[in-house]
Amino acid sequence: MAVELGHFALVLALALSIVQATVPLVGARVKSYQLMRVGETVAIAGFLLILVSFTTLVHGYIVSDFSILNVWENSHSAKPMLFKITGTWGNHEGSMLLWVMILAFFAAMVAVFGRNLPPSLRANVIAVQGMVAVAFLLFILFTSNPFTRIIPAPIEGKDLNPLLQDIGLAIHPPLLYLGYVGFSISFSFAVAALIEGRIDAAWARWVRPWTLLAWAFLTGGIAMGSYWAYYELGWGGFWFWDPVENASFLPWLAGTALLHSAIVMEKRSALKIWTVLLAILTFSLSLMGTFLVRSGVLTSVHAFATDPARGVFILIILLLFIGGSLALFGLRASSLTSGGLFHPISREGALVLNNLILSTCTATVLIGTLYPLLIEALTGEKISVGAPFFNLTFIPLVVPLLLAVPFGPLLAWKRGDLLGAAQRLQFAFGAVLVVMIGTYFFSDKTSTAAALGLGLGFWLIFGALTDIAFKAGVGKNSLSVVFSRLKGLPLSVFGTAFAHAGIGLTVIGLVSVTTLQIERIVLMKPNDVVEAGGYTLKFSGVTPFKGPNFTEDQARFDLTGPDGRRLGEIAAAKRLYPARGMPTTEAGIRTFGLSQLYVSIGEATPNGLVVHAWWKPRVTLIWIGALVMMFGGGLSLCDRRLRVGAPTRRKTAVEAEA
Amino acid sequence: MTFWIITAVLTASASLAVMYPFLRRNDSTAEGEYDLAVYKDQLAELDRDVKRGLISTEDAAEARAEIGRRIIRMNAAASAEGGKSGAAPVVRIVAAFGILAVPVISWGLYSYLGSPGVPAMPLAERLQNDPAGSSIAELIGRAETHLASNPEDLKGWETLGPVYMRLGRYQDAARAYRQIIALGGANANTYSVLGEALVGMADGVVTAEAVASFEKTLSMDPKEPRAQFFVGLARAQEGKMDEARALWTNMLADLPENSPWREVAGQALAQRGEGTASEPANAEGQASDDQQQMIEEMVARLDARLKESPDDPEGWQRLVRSYIVLERKEDARAALERGIKALGEGSPSANDLSTFAQELGITLPEEKE
Amino acid sequence: MTRKQKRATIIAIGMCFLAVAAALTFFALGQQTSYFYMPADVIAKPVAPGQRIRLGGLVEKGSIERMDGTHVKFAVTDGEHTVKVGYEGILPDLFREEQGVVTEGTFGPDGLFVADSVLAKHDENYMPREVADGLKEKGVWQESEGGSKNGG
Repeated sequence: MAVELGHFALVLALALSIVQATVPLVGARVKSYQLMRVGETVAIAGFLLILVSFTTLVHGYIVSDFSILNVWENSHSAKPMLFKITGTWGNHEGSMLLWVMILAFFAAMVAVFGRNLPPSLRANVIAVQGMVAVAFLLFILFTSNPFTRIIPAPIEGKDLNPLLQDIGLAIHPPLLYLGYVGFSISFSFAVAALIEGRIDAAWARWVRPWTLLAWAFLTGGIAMGSYWAYYELGWGGFWFWDPVENASFLPWLAGTALLHSAIVMEKRSALKIWTVLLAILTFSLSLMGTFLVRSGVLTSVHAFATDPARGVFILIILLLFIGGSLALFGLRASSLTSGGLFHPISREGALVLNNLILSTCTATVLIGTLYPLLIEALTGEKISVGAPFFNLTFIPLVVPLLLAVPFGPLLAWKRGDLLGAAQRLQFAFGAVLVVMIGTYFFSDKTSTAAALGLGLGFWLIFGALTDIAFKAGVGKNSLSVVFSRLKGLPLSVFGTAFAHAGIGLTVIGLVSVTTLQIERIVLMKPNDVVEAGGYTLKFSGVTPFKGPNFTEDQARFDLTGPDGRRLGEIAAAKRLYPARGMPTTEAGIRTFGLSQLYVSIGEATPNGLVVHAWWKPRVTLIWIGALVMMFGGGLSLCDRRLRVGAPTRRKTAVEAEA
Repeated sequence: MTFWIITAVLTASASLAVMYPFLRRNDSTAEGEYDLAVYKDQLAELDRDVKRGLISTEDAAEARAEIGRRIIRMNAAASAEGGKSGAAPVVRIVAAFGILAVPVISWGLYSYLGSPGVPAMPLAERLQNDPAGSSIAELIGRAETHLASNPEDLKGWETLGPVYMRLGRYQDAARAYRQIIALGGANANTYSVLGEALVGMADGVVTAEAVASFEKTLSMDPKEPRAQFFVGLARAQEGKMDEARALWTNMLADLPENSPWREVAGQALAQRGEGTASEPANAEGQASDDQQQMIEEMVARLDARLKESPDDPEGWQRLVRSYIVLERKEDARAALERGIKALGEGSPSANDLSTFAQELGITLPEEKE
Repeated sequence: MTRKQKRATIIAIGMCFLAVAAALTFFALGQQTSYFYMPADVIAKPVAPGQRIRLGGLVEKGSIERMDGTHVKFAVTDGEHTVKVGYEGILPDLFREEQGVVTEGTFGPDGLFVADSVLAKHDENYMPREVADGLKEKGVWQESEGGSKNGG
């Protein structure tokens, strides 16, 4: 019964979404507050129903109810409980249900916390969100229904792909979805504003916290996905410019641009058209990512052609929403008035530069991702666009942006003083020089690239510190005044500084690993020794081990530090999951401060075991940087001015509420 | 029933969510208020920036003027829009649509997509609860998957073997007992039950292989009743009634009072008629009336079983052979025809069946062409 | 500067940047995309040494030779032709004889294909896309099940 209740709840949620997509829209048109309000209650109810439905599915996984086709295909009774639960969204149907649940979650958030929005805008936002929900609920119910039953029920499931049995997977897709589905709110705001035909500085103020929220989640999601690949795939890589990764990175780039252009729009009422367009494009990129990942186009054009139902359905959704919103944009854009004037050298100018570069980067990554598909569709020729392409285009484009970042917050609105900003940054610049010289002469490997790259990372960090120091008046005031001014600074100033410093940390991690990492591939017999980064690994042998649903051969290594101290053991393994007959590589990873020793093993040959060991200096900074960026986003969100649902209503209204 | 009550409650609450705004007092803030709040906030922020020295006073004055212009523009737009609350009939129609849409869409679509009658089937419950009926199949399935990955589990095979026997899945039972023998867990009883399974597979005919298995048992335990009985039956089926009767009589003498085999052997003796022992009426090789009757019954049973579950290539082969042995050629041909149809014309197993029949001298009349 | 001039400056800077980006992208697309070849394609139109390509096919049975250390040689075949490949490093988990493989690298002057990356199929459902299509054209390989499950 429970299973069918979940199914029914999902269908009921579709019915509510249809109401949500239409009634408030009419309400806003005829100015009926009651009809507009319908959107809010329905959005909340719809979210609760999808939550019920999702919970039912999770429960089906927990109790191994193999009468549910989806559970049978993706679970196994012998699987550890945690992976039974995470298995719920480790497959197509379940992850689409999660997708739509997050969509509904954001609509409900607007309903609950959007009290500071004008009723008609709120109603329209919720209605547009409802339209997206209708499309995806139809998609789920008719092409990817997770509640399809099989009678008679099989007695054992077919297991989950062992690569996906990892804790990273438990957190990664939900976070990623919170991010890239979160941009649906920015999209809904843009479309709602276009429907109303009224876009002004206040609109930008309202849309920013939602964009920031989605951005912070997406940052975390991408970082988590990257760490998962690093940790689980056993290749020691953290970013592959794989189309699936690009699918999440594209909305991040566009979303970052949106975040910055919305500031200009709020403060100066400028860049309106551009901001609205970006809001539409960001979510369009999310939709495109969903299409690429979910239609199977990437895995095989052939697979897409033989079972096109899903792909074509998403493609229709894609065209409908992107086409529809852009058409609306075309109709209304001309009516938008242009805003305040500004000098090219100013905060606005800096933010425009940011947008220019970020959107160019987005375009480059997009071209690199779609080009092979396009070429294959047109000529049948198969090409691959891999890391070399992206490294050659993305890096030269993004480096100028990163160099310019510390200047931005130091420039004044309207007319900035570049020379003044440069003067303020002189200490930061000096510190960076020291770092660069130090890196060049004192690191294990002499590398110009490392020196320049680390310099760039520290430039971002010191730049962020300079901004805070300047705003607190360091050097001009006594310590106590500085302290009280620090306390008085808006949280968003700290948010900006943290986010920018976070990029710096990530850059330091990326540069350290790519330029200074030490890699060893050797054949080892027991008692053989390999050294990486000062640490010595002594191979002590291979022991078999039996886990709950896998068997593995563990290679054990005795670890000795640079000072000759024993540091215990490190184990890497080849694992076999018999249910799918699939081997995986389990890397042995040990963290020392910010750096890691990473060991993975290959096949056993007559001459010994193939061992791949890396010393990865400061590798963890890549992900710590992302966490710091997320933290910065969180700080800005807590800023009273940006807080979602900040108490801006009239007193009487507040009383009526209570 | 509970299911429908819960769905009805869910639907009702969903409709209520649509209705809710109409049940509440209408309180609203004018559109302009919201924008004004933002601009007031911006002005306050500007003041703070000036105080902190982040912005020059001239710039601040300019910015203040800019925000002021936004407020004026906003007011102008608000007064241009004017009017409030739209036409009541439209509101009522749309509201009615919304409230009705919820039950209509949800129930309509669910009746198309859902399977309301199908209960949830948590694995643990299926394996623990009802030990009768269908759950046996599930238990077996569970054991089978376990044994598929751990074929060395002797205990598992020992548990599963008797279950197969009781269910009449003789082929699986034979496989299980052979596995037990292969794993070295065999005793007299194992060979004896394996023999019985082989008899079951041959629909009651004690084949040479089965006899070998029973004799293996008797070599280990000469008094094992099952083996004794079936060896006797084998003799009887060969028409050596004397030998059969002698074996059974011996067996009865050795059996303890409460053994179930007493009855079985007694019945077998009674059926074959104690008195006919010395009658040489039935020539060697020719089946007695009793036996003929027994075989015919068996064939009829097989025939009936195949009508119920026709997807059994071996069963069809056996049926065709049986009819030939009984010299009922017409029936054999009919069985062949039915078998081919049941297995799907042109399918590999149907082709096997017709070659098999051909070897026995049965072919289907060529159809036109 | 007048309003117009300001705008022109911004637009000019933007255009310059876009032009640089576009040039970079086209240059990179020309240089850094690697075309996919099956052994038969290599025979039909030889690839210049040093040009980066992806070579795909099945690992020929009995062709895997271990050289000293972690150096491996094997042959990639499409059923008609074979190409010898050299590689140093850890072979993927699913690298096996008669299984699909995609290698990326360049031809050396001696005609040996020196691969710097070797990808084998990801799971039992997933054949590298190009290999599957290429082999299907030649009728060597039959698709057992399409598509792979992806969690992202």
